Amino acid sequence: MALLELKNVSHIYHSPEGETWALKDVNFTVEEREFVSIVGPSGCGKSTILAILAGLLTPSEGDVTIGGKPLTEAKGTTALMPQRDQLFEWRSIMRNVLLGPEIQKNKSPEIVTYAKTLLEKYGLSEFTSKRPSELSGGMRQRAALIRTLVTSPKLLLLDEPFSALDFQTRLQVCDDVSDILRQENKTAILVTHDINEAISMSDKVIVLTERPASVKKLYSIDLDKNLPPLKRREQKSFAVYFRRIWKDLEVHNE
Amino acid sequence: MSDEHKSYLKKIKIRKLVIRIVQIGLLLLAFGLWELSAYFEWSDPFITSSPSRIVTSIANLYRSGDLFKHLSATLYETVLSFVLSTVIGVIVAVILWWSAFLKDVTEPYLIVLNSLPKVALGPLIIIWVGAGRGAIITMALLICVIITIISALTGFLSVDKEKVDLLKAMGANKFQILFKLILPANIPSIISILKINVGLSWVGTIMGEYLVSREGIGYLLVYGGQVFKLDLVMASTILLCILATLMYLAVALIEKLIKRFYK
Repeated sequence: MALLELKNVSHIYHSPEGETWALKDVNFTVEEREFVSIVGPSGCGKSTILAILAGLLTPSEGDVTIGGKPLTEAKGTTALMPQRDQLFEWRSIMRNVLLGPEIQKNKSPEIVTYAKTLLEKYGLSEFTSKRPSELSGGMRQRAALIRTLVTSPKLLLLDEPFSALDFQTRLQVCDDVSDILRQENKTAILVTHDINEAISMSDKVIVLTERPASVKKLYSIDLDKNLPPLKRREQKSFAVYFRRIWKDLEVHNE
Repeated sequence: MSDEHKSYLKKIKIRKLVIRIVQIGLLLLAFGLWELSAYFEWSDPFITSSPSRIVTSIANLYRSGDLFKHLSATLYETVLSFVLSTVIGVIVAVILWWSAFLKDVTEPYLIVLNSLPKVALGPLIIIWVGAGRGAIITMALLICVIITIISALTGFLSVDKEKVDLLKAMGANKFQILFKLILPANIPSIISILKINVGLSWVGTIMGEYLVSREGIGYLLVYGGQVFKLDLVMASTILLCILATLMYLAVALIEKLIKRFYK
């Protein structure tokens, strides 16, 4: 059974100027331990899907189930990694990482140990008591990712988490995130406007139509899963996927 | 350390020293000229007073035992209204942040109250609260509290929405969003509110003392002006300068402590 299933999910935004259909009958599934990217024309409603999955929005229509249960009954099963790292400047890295457990009031010694292990494993052990401003952009992203991991969510929601980084850091962070998620056996959905990023990181790429968004195409990415994203970019079929997805998006931009 | 860096550090040190010397020199020069012009009667010391007359005036106040009575009255009123307005202002801002409905309802009232010169309410305050300390503190409070509410609320509302969403996605309730995000994120803006309120609460207190005219530095100023004792007016002004500066320094110290705690 799929970990996540969206069935005919539609969403309408209301404003005094009128109503906007952001999503119209979105259907897809995500299997356990899968990395799925969602790409689409800008402003098509990609982020709306994540907001729904994060529990920030209730869809106007349709069903979302996680592990067979409706999303509303599955609190704490998803964790959001926002566009910029959004680390709290007045907290140390350790206290930033433990924000989720603190909010959910289950900051047990086990979770603190788990957080320490993760920070150590991913090269941040020296920075646990440092402020976010003392870290590089790449380290901040890693800290933000660990913050989403400590609550042991079933599904990670990555909302263009690399868009604020410079190109080099971005490639490095993509490798880092991919590696960390693989090691921790996590399922993740990445929303991005970068086709390269989507293909190189994912098992599956979902291409959305223009607003109101629905699933236009679904690609299973058949690249070597053991390679880091940067290396996967060099594989032959990578360019093929790129051209096809590019074309999907291009038609809509006319 | 390279020689170049050494000479660079030395340059900075010398510059700092020169600035201090010029600052003190200017003050001494001004007071010296002032004293001389009074001594040689280039100007009428009855109108312009002089540093020595100011010192005498302060000494007289001290001898009669009135100095501390007036100073402490003013200081008490200012500190109390400063603390009250900051606390009340921030609490009201929290309430308005909490309820968008209340915020929208009160918006026009806040705008009107903010643009109204609060001094105009003086006569009303005296009649309603009575011509005493209460009126002075009310006046100072009114002057500070509206701007505190407005600036604190602006700060609360300008916290990055993505951060709020992050907490919401973690399942945070409104209390947690307030105490884990909104308030800590606004420590810098609350500090700058403190700094503004130091100045404003002095304006309010002196204004209040003008109107109530019982005791305090504001009273000394008005009284001195009415009986043409300009030595007293000048002395009060100097005392006010010293007190206001001390209070500003105290707030700067609080800022330093908070920053150390949060950085």
